[in-house]
Amino acid sequence: MRWSHINLIFTREVRDQLRDRRTMFTVLFLPLLLYPLMGSVMFEVAQFHRETKVVIGVVGAENLPESSAILDESADPAVEWKVIPESSRLQQCVESFLLPTSGRGASHDAATDQTSTQPNKRGLEACLREFGCDSIVCIPPDFRLNKWHVPVKVISNLSWERSTIANSLFNRIVESEHKSWLRDELNKTELGSSVIDPPRLHTLDVSPPDQKGVFLWSKLLPFVVLIWALTGAFYPAIDLCAGEKERGTLETLLCSPARRLEIVWGKLLTIICFSLGTALLNLASMYITASMVIGRMASLPNAAISSVLAPLPIQSLGWLVLLVVPISIMFSALALAVASLARSTKEGQYYLMPLLLVGLPLVSLPMLPGVSLSPGTSIIPVTGAVLLSRSLIDGEYLTALLHLPTVATVTIVCTLLAVRWAVRQFENETAMLKDGGRYSFKNWLRDAWRKRDDTPTVNEAVVCGLLVLAMLFFGRLSLGLSEVTWVNLAVNTLSLQIGLMLGPVLIMAVMLTKSLPKAFRIHRVSFPELAAVGLLAIAIHPTYVTIANAINNEYKLGEETIAMLKQVDLVISSAPFWAVLVCLALLPAITEELVFRGFLFSGLQRSNGNLRAILATSLLFGLSHGVLQQSIAAALMGLLLGWIAARSGSVLTAILFHLLHNSMSLSLSINGRQGNVPPDWVSWAIQYESGVWSYTEIWSTLSVGVSISLIAFLATRPWVQPRRVVVLEQAG
Amino acid sequence: MPDFFTPQSRWAFMELVQVTNLTKLYPDADIGDQPALDSVSFTAKAGEVFGLLGPNGAGKTTALRILATILKPSSGSAKVCHFDVVNQSDYVRHSIGYVSNNTNIYDRMSAWEMVEYFGRLYTIPEDVLQARISQLFDRLQMKSFRDLPGAKMSTGMKQKVSIARALIHDPPVMILDEASLGLDVLAARALQDIVRQLRDEGKCIIYSSHIMREIERVCDRVAIMWRGKIIDSGTLDELAERHQENDFEEIFYRLLLKGDDQSLSREELLA
Repeated sequence: MRWSHINLIFTREVRDQLRDRRTMFTVLFLPLLLYPLMGSVMFEVAQFHRETKVVIGVVGAENLPESSAILDESADPAVEWKVIPESSRLQQCVESFLLPTSGRGASHDAATDQTSTQPNKRGLEACLREFGCDSIVCIPPDFRLNKWHVPVKVISNLSWERSTIANSLFNRIVESEHKSWLRDELNKTELGSSVIDPPRLHTLDVSPPDQKGVFLWSKLLPFVVLIWALTGAFYPAIDLCAGEKERGTLETLLCSPARRLEIVWGKLLTIICFSLGTALLNLASMYITASMVIGRMASLPNAAISSVLAPLPIQSLGWLVLLVVPISIMFSALALAVASLARSTKEGQYYLMPLLLVGLPLVSLPMLPGVSLSPGTSIIPVTGAVLLSRSLIDGEYLTALLHLPTVATVTIVCTLLAVRWAVRQFENETAMLKDGGRYSFKNWLRDAWRKRDDTPTVNEAVVCGLLVLAMLFFGRLSLGLSEVTWVNLAVNTLSLQIGLMLGPVLIMAVMLTKSLPKAFRIHRVSFPELAAVGLLAIAIHPTYVTIANAINNEYKLGEETIAMLKQVDLVISSAPFWAVLVCLALLPAITEELVFRGFLFSGLQRSNGNLRAILATSLLFGLSHGVLQQSIAAALMGLLLGWIAARSGSVLTAILFHLLHNSMSLSLSINGRQGNVPPDWVSWAIQYESGVWSYTEIWSTLSVGVSISLIAFLATRPWVQPRRVVVLEQAG
Repeated sequence: MPDFFTPQSRWAFMELVQVTNLTKLYPDADIGDQPALDSVSFTAKAGEVFGLLGPNGAGKTTALRILATILKPSSGSAKVCHFDVVNQSDYVRHSIGYVSNNTNIYDRMSAWEMVEYFGRLYTIPEDVLQARISQLFDRLQMKSFRDLPGAKMSTGMKQKVSIARALIHDPPVMILDEASLGLDVLAARALQDIVRQLRDEGKCIIYSSHIMREIERVCDRVAIMWRGKIIDSGTLDELAERHQENDFEEIFYRLLLKGDDQSLSREELLA
């Protein structure tokens, strides 16, 4: 990789983009114009909103006493009263609206009670529309005499927003009138009016003035900035990859001395540049506009908004700018990788939506209440970075510093993976040069059948993996655990493992491959390797337990899940041990390994894809577990299993490892629950305490060393590569 | 490395392009893997224009793309200046100038900037580069549109920029793939003149086209391609003699008619 080439490509691409009117519009002018425009529209709307009043119609206005808040224009400025003359149709409709119980206090509650009466609702709604009222109140004839004891009918349509407002405003007006009447009445007695005063509470807000209103900003701004960073990355990315393919200029560059890696880095730097630029410009423009709008609103009388929103202090803005950098880099690399898949700009546009769908949950996760920076959240890409910047804005520098290494590592690893993907796309000549032809499912199937090979292709493996996940998802939902009994549990496990995992994969394997042993990677393994893997499974189990416990502490299980798991544990410990081992250790070991470390692995491993196979199968393996806590532990275990499977070139080692691992877990939990005391010969490794078998400290520590040695032993064994598949006939 | 001391090997050293049993398969979902190139072999020497003649889809572009290191061969080997196109692609890219109708120029760059950019990618020292661009622009009569952006150029102008771009590092081998496509009579004639000049300077030129007259005018040796195979090759005179026909277009047409019957092997075709 030569920096001078990257720099040349970078400067050219930037200049090219700057000369493009469309880019300049979205990157520069849109943010500069958008926020001031939005601000002015907000002002307009605010004014418009203040001027409109809700209309409350009054039937039987003649029945009102002389002094009443009803029909009093000064009662509430937001209410416009409208006297409705008597009409027979309205009268009929209103009469159909019978009151459930006569007597006190029925007025408001009864009006919304829909079950007790069968009023002519349709007619009443027509009346509301006809008279142009948001609510209609009917004053009964004897109201003047007996103001607070006669029920008043209020007709509202609560699915209309304005009608809801009218209804609640009317309630408030009547209640306040009632209250002042009550005060007068109480003043006449010896109790005095003070008895109905509400309890006096004083809240003192000790937050420093500059932190006020930062809360909303620190939740909202990262979100907005990230959306712009993604948008700013995506459009240049499409133009730089698919656009160049379309304009035919990519081939010119490909036959120049620039290497593919240099081209990718040059383009990536350009995309980062525009992503950063868009995000920062938007941030600046939004900040300036918002500060001015907030300043203006705060100066207005009775402005409630100033308590929620305050101008963001400038140093917080600095932290946000810092956040933008890693996120822009990550999104740019991702956008480049995705855009290099596309053959035309039109195809590229199709990829924006999936990318947004992946990005949005990561960005919105930090906005959920209660989500804060922790070891668990810091390893989630994007989310970790957003939370980091938020804790910086909130001034929690120590927390931020503690999690900085994790967040930085995750960001860098994700970026490099995306770059690697993009480089692979650039090296892939079909992605670079072939035009997208007509697509027909029938032809694809025929082609897949004709080209059947010993192992599935990468695409087939990915599709198969996603299919298994989808089947498991629906399978779990439809099976459910109606009643936790051993038979139910066994049947569920059997049908999930065999019916929904192994079965479909087996069908795919028969259809898509020529050799089942090769597709499932069933190859012979030397005895030392097998033994080493077996020992490793036992030796690494204490470490796994420690990690799993840590995960369970970090992501607390829900109450319901805990109760469920307890019940499952109970059922398992009362079932025959051999049956449990077969059903929960042997069976999953065989099916899951054949699926993940067998079929999927052999497909993903193609064309030097060892790393890809390990990462992807571990991810799919994790996702297949369904419960987050188990998924994380399983994904970690999947990495080790994948490595072992890749190393030994066979699925058998992975099955052995998985079997021993599950058996260890099961025997520990069952023996503990049954209250057995560990036999003497394992007392150095296992201790018993109040119904729980656990590893002794000394074995937990020692086992780490043993595991490392075993892994080192395996690592020194020669690589077993899958036999190079010769697709092409050697010509000549 | 060839042995320099025998006349034959010195001759072999002059062969700047050596293509041996080159095969390229394209995956195709409709009809299965299709060989775009089927065991093609040819060589081209310095100071020679080697023509690849064939109808559209005969595999000319695929062969030249492999020579330009844009595609990788499925099997067989190709060498440019004795560098292997797969393992020594960096050196190969430095020794070729590649112009095809798929290598467009940038819309938002002027002619001068375009040539300058690629010159810099070849890491030519800046003062040498400026002098060379100026010289090339004079020679190709491009001074009049040196600051015109690519989007506003005519096809002929664009082609000149492409040629200047491909010549900026003075490569020993030039690969021109359907370079005259879309050019008017004047521009096409100018292109042929440039090609002849370059040959006289000692460059090895691979020139592909589907137009017989053009090949006849510029090429010293010709290979006729049809459905991924070379069905005949030789100098123009050799071809004329072998087929007892002076009209080159007639030879081409007859070969294609014969070649349509796919069951015929190359020997049967020539019989």
